[in-house]
Amino acid sequence: MTVTSQSTSREASEPASGQAPIGQKTEDSRPGRRGNGSKKPSRPQWGLEFGHWWWALPGIVLVFAVHYVATGIGGFFAFTNWSGIGSFEIVGFKNFEAIFNDPTKIRSLGNTLFFAFGSVLLGNILGLLLALGLNRVVKTRYALRTLFFMPVVLSPLATAYIWKFIFDFDGPINVLLTSVGLEHLAKPWLADPHWAVWTVLVVLTWSSTGFAMVIFMAGLTSVPNEVEEAAAIDGANLWQRFCHVTLPVLRPAVAIAMTLGIVQGLRVFDPIMALTSGGPAGATETLATEVYKQAFALGNFGGGAALALVLAVIILFFAVLQQRLTRSNPED
Amino acid sequence: MTQQRRSAGFRLAALAIPTVAALALTGCGGSSSSASDAENQEFSLTFATSNTVESPYEALAKQYMQEFPDVKITLNPQPNDSYDQVVRTQLQAGNASDVLVTSPGSASGRSILPLVEAGFLEPLSESAAALVPEGSEALFGPDGKVYGLAPEITVVGLVNNDTASAAAGVNAFPEDFAGVLEQCGVLAADNKSMFAVAGTAAPNTGLLGMQLAATRVYSKDPDWNDKRAAGDVTFAGTEGWQQALEAVVDLKDAGCFQKGAEGAGFDVVTKALVGGDSLAAFIPGPSNKQLKTTAEDQDFEVRVLPSEGGPDEDFIYASANYAYSINAASKNKDAATTFLEWLAEPEQTKAFAEIDGALPVTGLEDFDFANSAYKNVADLVLNNRYAPLPNSEWSNASVYDELGTGVQGLLTGQQTPAQVLEAMDAAWDQ
Repeated sequence: MTVTSQSTSREASEPASGQAPIGQKTEDSRPGRRGNGSKKPSRPQWGLEFGHWWWALPGIVLVFAVHYVATGIGGFFAFTNWSGIGSFEIVGFKNFEAIFNDPTKIRSLGNTLFFAFGSVLLGNILGLLLALGLNRVVKTRYALRTLFFMPVVLSPLATAYIWKFIFDFDGPINVLLTSVGLEHLAKPWLADPHWAVWTVLVVLTWSSTGFAMVIFMAGLTSVPNEVEEAAAIDGANLWQRFCHVTLPVLRPAVAIAMTLGIVQGLRVFDPIMALTSGGPAGATETLATEVYKQAFALGNFGGGAALALVLAVIILFFAVLQQRLTRSNPED
Repeated sequence: MTQQRRSAGFRLAALAIPTVAALALTGCGGSSSSASDAENQEFSLTFATSNTVESPYEALAKQYMQEFPDVKITLNPQPNDSYDQVVRTQLQAGNASDVLVTSPGSASGRSILPLVEAGFLEPLSESAAALVPEGSEALFGPDGKVYGLAPEITVVGLVNNDTASAAAGVNAFPEDFAGVLEQCGVLAADNKSMFAVAGTAAPNTGLLGMQLAATRVYSKDPDWNDKRAAGDVTFAGTEGWQQALEAVVDLKDAGCFQKGAEGAGFDVVTKALVGGDSLAAFIPGPSNKQLKTTAEDQDFEVRVLPSEGGPDEDFIYASANYAYSINAASKNKDAATTFLEWLAEPEQTKAFAEIDGALPVTGLEDFDFANSAYKNVADLVLNNRYAPLPNSEWSNASVYDELGTGVQGLLTGQQTPAQVLEAMDAAWDQ
């Protein structure tokens, strides 16, 4: 833990004498209770007491009704043979058996994990490099930060179609290759069974790098200049300062960037639909694109719901695992 | 009355008066007979659109409103890509249009049979039954009832750019499959292709696979689908289907498809046909009119994919691929039924086919084939050497999707014909 964070913790745990920490109630101040020297009974303020959680009830009900109840009903259909219309029968775990016995679904699961971890790994490395490069010194850093963050703001669907044009057989990349005499390297990048997954990964990494960069830049503001300067005076080189001063401070930022990146990467849908629709012949299919196809395009809502449930469990697993592995305080 | 109760009364009145007024203005407070009559003259129509070319559904609806000024049709065009999903969701929610465009059979999300099974469609009258093409009765509804009005006959074969063919030196279209393969080599040497294929679009690659199966499976065994439904045959176990998908590989190896076909979309097909880089495409016949709209100086003709045995063995697909249906939950069934009765009249079926570039569902014997884009397939149609598109009788949409995806896999070398056929069998049985 760094000097700054230690002092902050100490200040929080040892309030100035005679003052209660913010947010902590003294006995006298609790509603409905008498202070030690008071003889007049105060009127119990039940409305205020209950109000603390009653006031949140409409919001809680709304969130449950819109989000959790709807999700729960969707989860129920995972155990049915519903086609999306008409009646249905409960089929138990048959949809899940079909998923795990189907090699194409297993490949979709593998692709899902590949795209999620690949884009997070590459996006975080590039995002960290960009954040370090644009943190100080460079005069045009504000303009460059905006440029590198732009892909996060732009519509993933719109940018995916631009990438699709770029990677088309008649697109700029192949035109460039042909113009420099490398026409033998020209190929339908998004329909080549070996290159399609890597092409999609490039697009996913491009769109996630800016987000990681912003998180790391926020983390870099916590790195104290004086500690870096002290380390430099003590003879630490650039790499040592990065490893022993910068990186420890960035640990929470790494945790946040990776957690959000993996969750986002696992559920990525629109760029893949726009780029390849899961092709060629399922080579870039993910669980999210399979959910859409099964539930809505092919009239197998029960199967699609089962896939969605599998995807939700995987996302939940990795979100919890990531949080546990990267939390800074073991007592959290 | 206390001050509090008085102010509460004022508040109630302040809310109630505009509410009652609004309800009265919108007719929610009850309907008079005249209001009811006016309502019955209104209905809505949902149809799919995929380009900017005039839709026959829209054109006929507008013509109906012109002929009957008291009638108001609310048009709800939907993008073709999401049409099935939108219609199903609206039917499930109870807010679908009064009249819908559906597909005969059970192969897609808009297909009549599953929608009837779910109770969403209304049976139609005799006039609709009279328009059902011979041999397609089972696709329009169970138990002898008819739930769709067929507006046209769609021929599905090749659409060939005859102008581009002549420019490429192809003065005579190949007469058999061997001739096609030979011609492909000649064109490929000239940096052109015989066919343009949208490898990323399963509907297009699926049509390619089905057309190769026309002479190899369905002309020899017209009841093959019934046998598959009964479990007597399988895709993987049928020699004709194996030959059909092996023919895809033969076409690829002979250079019949444009470069990068496996990654192409429909936009590439249109561009290649209009630009003359490719001569033909596996697309529905009515596309000839849409292509003609794009390139008025070129001639697009509907042709059959030559069979292995030559012209005597040629066989093509022709069927009513779309239909008008009435929503069972519609409150304007009378107006909708009257509209469909009008559509079933010969003048309207003829107008529909002309606008769409298809064949009319009635009066084929009087159709002027010689001066149409269908002159090269006239003999096949008039001599009954055609069958409905086979996928309309397949058990679910996944089977056709597996065929389309599998053909792309054949183009990329990811799959073998046997693997594709096994996947189709698995999809059929799911």
